Amino acid sequence: MSRSLTFRIFRYDPQLPGDAPKMVDYQLDETPGMTVFIALNRLRAEQDPSLQFDFVCRAGICGSCAMVINGLPTLACRTLTAKYSDAVITLMPLPGFELIGDLSVNTGKFMRELAERLKLWLHPKAQQADIHHLEQPMEPEEAAKLYELERCVECGVCVSACATAQMRDTFVGAVGMMKIARFELDSRDARTADDFYHVIGTQDGVFGCMTLLGCQDNCPKDLPHMQQIAYLRRKMAGTLIASSKV
Amino acid sequence: MLTKYRIGEGWLGYPQSHRWSAIADVLQSGSGLILGLFLLAHLHFESSILLGKAAFYRVANVLEGGWFTSSGHGSSLLTQTFSVFMLLVVMVHAATALRRFPAQRRQWQALRNHNLLINHQDTRLWFWQMVTGFLMFFLVPMHLVTMITNPEIGPHLSAARVWHDNYWLVYILLLPAVVIHAMLGLYRLALKWGVNFHRDGLRLLAKILIGYLLVLGLCSLTAYLLIGSGLTTPVTPFIP
Repeated sequence: MSRSLTFRIFRYDPQLPGDAPKMVDYQLDETPGMTVFIALNRLRAEQDPSLQFDFVCRAGICGSCAMVINGLPTLACRTLTAKYSDAVITLMPLPGFELIGDLSVNTGKFMRELAERLKLWLHPKAQQADIHHLEQPMEPEEAAKLYELERCVECGVCVSACATAQMRDTFVGAVGMMKIARFELDSRDARTADDFYHVIGTQDGVFGCMTLLGCQDNCPKDLPHMQQIAYLRRKMAGTLIASSKV
Repeated sequence: MLTKYRIGEGWLGYPQSHRWSAIADVLQSGSGLILGLFLLAHLHFESSILLGKAAFYRVANVLEGGWFTSSGHGSSLLTQTFSVFMLLVVMVHAATALRRFPAQRRQWQALRNHNLLINHQDTRLWFWQMVTGFLMFFLVPMHLVTMITNPEIGPHLSAARVWHDNYWLVYILLLPAVVIHAMLGLYRLALKWGVNFHRDGLRLLAKILIGYLLVLGLCSLTAYLLIGSGLTTPVTPFIP
């Protein structure tokens, strides 16, 4: 016999005049292999069509369905309801992002602003910018390292899980540092180490990180944030202190 | 592109100057490491009172440089000099650690909301590290200034300070604050610079050390209180 689950969901539509934030309870019978994402879809289809939440891929690849589930920011599509023995599941929107409504937040706006601020795209070397020339082949080892850092799905969990990012709007967070590390590693990128240090060798970057490790503990893609940030900190501290620039 | 600030003839450097961000981070970690390791030694030295008055007397004499003086008692000038040095280290640590404090009400609100919404052990531990750090802005100078102005150390003189001068009030607050702050700080330091990534083991070690040092500190404070309560003023120094 299946359990009856209680979903305690944050409801608030900022677009609706007079609406106030509240928690609303929904009951749903659990089915085998049910994820929070499946449950939300059923709730919207069967009980409340006004419920707002994001999803695209349903497979932990797009990063759209991130939310706070029983106090842990994670992806709804990768969270089985069976793991909650008390049958009560509390859902909150990711903090630190613009609220669209209910569980839906605008991580896209945040990620775009971050990308523009940190210039998170490939800056090709002069000869590689010419489309009439063949691209230089990349060593498989380098490609594998890049792929490891490229796995970030920009779900926003690391930003929501980081108290530093919540307290300081200008802090780039683990996602910013991870992406900088990714482009620094890329041999096709024309930027020098100095250019990258300029971007994150500050209080808003690696030296603003307080090692609270919310990013490391909650990243749904298990990216090595702790090791990556420690590496950047050591590398930047050594280079910057030795340099004569102020 | 960042703009340089200029006042009068002197350049003040870039806002968020990169090199100084790095230096501040290294100074905070370095001063924290010195203070944390010193605390481990300090609590063991002062707890030698648990082995008897004579044991503490010998430890104090050695640390005051007794080997280098003809009387064998050493000099309290060494205590004063070392206390001044430690005060300077504390000042460097406090100045650089201030960067981490939530300075505005909005930041406190964000931290409170975060702690209510997100269940994360390391953030909670950092919160207590910060609160105990704040308390020590007041408690550590009280202890160090006393050791600079009144540096006599000995089984009777130290016990008199604890009992007759009511310094137990400072120590009963300082002990948990400094032990929690220092052990969590050392744990975070190891992860921050990548010295060791075995988090579960390190965190367990930090918690065990917190418990052990609290018991050790409380036992020795009780010993000083018991010795102090048995002393009559004016207090005569202990001679074995």
